[in-house]
Amino acid sequence: MAKARKTTPAGRGGKGKSGKMVMVIGLLCLVPFSLPTLLVMFVGLLPTFAAAFAERGVNRYAWICVGGLNFSGLAPWLFKLWFGHHTLDYAYDLVTNLTVLLMSYGAACAGWALYLGLPPLVGMLMAATAQRRAIGLLATQKKLVEKWGDAVKTPDEHL
Amino acid sequence: MAGEQKSGADGTVVLRDRYLVYPGKPLADLNSPYADAFHAEDKRDPKKPLFALVARPGMLVRTDSMRALKGTDSPGLMVLVEWGTMDWPPAQRKAMVIIYERPLGGRAMATWTGDFRRVDEGELGRKVITPIFSALKALRTHNVTHRAIRPTNMFWATPERDRLVLGDCVTVPPGFDQPTLVETIESGMCHPAGRGPGTFADDIYAFGASLALLVQGRNPAPTADDELILRRKILHGSFTVLVGEERLLLQTSEFLRGTLCDDAHERWTAESIELWLSGRRLSPLLAKFEKRAVRGFPFGGGEYLTARELAMAFVRNWDAVAQVVLDGRLELWAKRSLDVKETAEAIVAAVRDAAMAMNDKRNAAADVMVARVCMILDGRAPIRYKGMAAMPDGIGAMLAMAVSAGTEVRTITECLMRDVPKAYFETRESYNPDNSSLDTIFRDLKSWLERPNIGNGIERVLYETNDSLPCLSPLIRDDYVLDVRDLLPALDAAAKRGAVKGSPIDRHVAAFIAVRAKFDIERQLADLSLTEPGRSTVAMLNLLAVIQWRLGQGGLQGLAAWVGTLAQPLINNFHDRERRARLEKEIPKVARDGNLVELARLLDSPEEKTLDHHEFQDARAQWAEIRRETRAIEEGRVDNRRAIQFAQRLSALLSVIVCLATLSLLLLARLF
Repeated sequence: MAKARKTTPAGRGGKGKSGKMVMVIGLLCLVPFSLPTLLVMFVGLLPTFAAAFAERGVNRYAWICVGGLNFSGLAPWLFKLWFGHHTLDYAYDLVTNLTVLLMSYGAACAGWALYLGLPPLVGMLMAATAQRRAIGLLATQKKLVEKWGDAVKTPDEHL
Repeated sequence: MAGEQKSGADGTVVLRDRYLVYPGKPLADLNSPYADAFHAEDKRDPKKPLFALVARPGMLVRTDSMRALKGTDSPGLMVLVEWGTMDWPPAQRKAMVIIYERPLGGRAMATWTGDFRRVDEGELGRKVITPIFSALKALRTHNVTHRAIRPTNMFWATPERDRLVLGDCVTVPPGFDQPTLVETIESGMCHPAGRGPGTFADDIYAFGASLALLVQGRNPAPTADDELILRRKILHGSFTVLVGEERLLLQTSEFLRGTLCDDAHERWTAESIELWLSGRRLSPLLAKFEKRAVRGFPFGGGEYLTARELAMAFVRNWDAVAQVVLDGRLELWAKRSLDVKETAEAIVAAVRDAAMAMNDKRNAAADVMVARVCMILDGRAPIRYKGMAAMPDGIGAMLAMAVSAGTEVRTITECLMRDVPKAYFETRESYNPDNSSLDTIFRDLKSWLERPNIGNGIERVLYETNDSLPCLSPLIRDDYVLDVRDLLPALDAAAKRGAVKGSPIDRHVAAFIAVRAKFDIERQLADLSLTEPGRSTVAMLNLLAVIQWRLGQGGLQGLAAWVGTLAQPLINNFHDRERRARLEKEIPKVARDGNLVELARLLDSPEEKTLDHHEFQDARAQWAEIRRETRAIEEGRVDNRRAIQFAQRLSALLSVIVCLATLSLLLLARLF
């Protein structure tokens, strides 16, 4: 049992690492064919890469959240690259363009803001619901006592 | 056995729809010491001379003998025509009434101390011996002893005074009214209530003693007290005490010597009397005297030459005996002066047993030792322990009389608890198979006494040893309940009278049911003593319901209502308050039908109980879960990890949606 417990995280870590390796190899394979795209994406999606590498824990949603908006901010320029001049020079112009960087990095910031701002908002909503639920539960308890008497109660120390 | 009586308009009471008893017409000349006589009449044969004896309340009667003797026709017996319990207006309660055929010639001896007309010896056989002996034979056929044979309880059957009949013997315990003079030495030593049914030989002795008085026309010892009579009988023999110097015909003297023999084994039997009546002369019995010691044993200010006398003195001065036994004086006297080695050895053994007792039981052991020593000194005497003296088969009646009279019963219970009867059986000179069965009975009695719970204890012993004892519960004491069939109606009547405090099953009722009910009620009886709230009430209800069901008795509205008032603990056993309310509503309805079985089903239904229990457990679990949750909410310990996780997922999802929307829009813009 202990052995099984010990092996499970290692296995999970190994799988994650191999996935990343496949992704990196895939990207490297694309390098000869779309180097301009890769350059723009590499520079434009730096906040996403940073989020992906920096995030720890089992449920890693930050890089998806940041990445989604980050990519949305970068997408118009990528379209221009794909449907205009798909050259390394143009790509270089784009990555040195302040507007492009502001748009993509600003969108990434919006992603972070969404990722960090939504949970407290949901927490507040949950708390409000719990109060209302508590009132309902107390009413149910009261009905139980009315039907079964005080004997139905369990002392707090036995809970 | 209920009398099923009715009361007439003129105050007469009718027994079994046939025999009219007139409380306003007492017949004092036919009274018994503990039963009053009244004029009675048979509705079917009004000319038949009858009278009724009404037993005094609290007196233990002999229903087994009544049952056996009913209708027995013998020239020497008053015919017991009918018997039963009936409402007795003068006492305002039920009483035991016995209807007898009325003797017409008056009592043979009016008072115990006064003189009366003697019976001529020449007529003794015809007028007295023949009829009375035939009565004794009839009694023996029914396995009943009379135990009330005395001249004051003999009546001339006809106005011509040509035949004597024996009077009543069933309105008191055996031998209860008997003067010591007409009782054997052993029976005379007993408490009147503890003489027991005895044997045919006891009746023969009383017959002989009565005859001795009848031929003399007087009481030969009118002023002597019981103590003196016993001492004289021990020292000189019964024949000498009862006949003395009276000159009697040889055959009369022979008859009296035979029947008054103090040794029961040598006393005349029925066969001897038959031979005597047929004219055969038997070898005369010589009086046997107690072995006398060379030197008297000084005790309590007197000197005693015989072991029996000494035993009597010991009983009178109980507390001083242990000392003289323990210091070896008695053993020495038995060995040297009385010269009975066996007695001396038995005394040594009794002392050894007592010496082995532990410190805290030393007093008890000393009392048992004294009782045992008395038994050793007088092997024919009754069981004597401290203040009590009774034959083994008379202890029950003695206990019943003591309880009825409200006197102390501690000595009797102590005697049973300390195995004194066992010591009695161990010290018998010869084997008697009856003693073995009695020993077993006493073992059972002890075990019941040791169990103090309801349905056992002294009350159980009381009813186990007395078939004729009515239930002595204060609730139904006046109803003279002898049979379990009469119990529920009596309790119902008690309820209607308003005696509804406490449970209808008290210690007496429980013990009465335990003994008299002929069906299996062991479980319900055992449950009566449970201490958990409501359990004993359930057992009470179930017990009453079983009796009602088994006997098919309905219409017990009073009792059902009484039980209904006690049902609150049973209702409280249910947790569901709605169920409780429903039961509270239904109980009065069922009580109005007088149906205890339905009441028991309602209050002790296993299905309902199980359902209630399970539902209650579910409710408890639900309450606890809610409490845990609300406490968490109160303490702000709401688990929002899932909420955060949800929010993170949502933000990721939104982000992806925005991304896809942007891509789609850009693609559309590019295409169109």
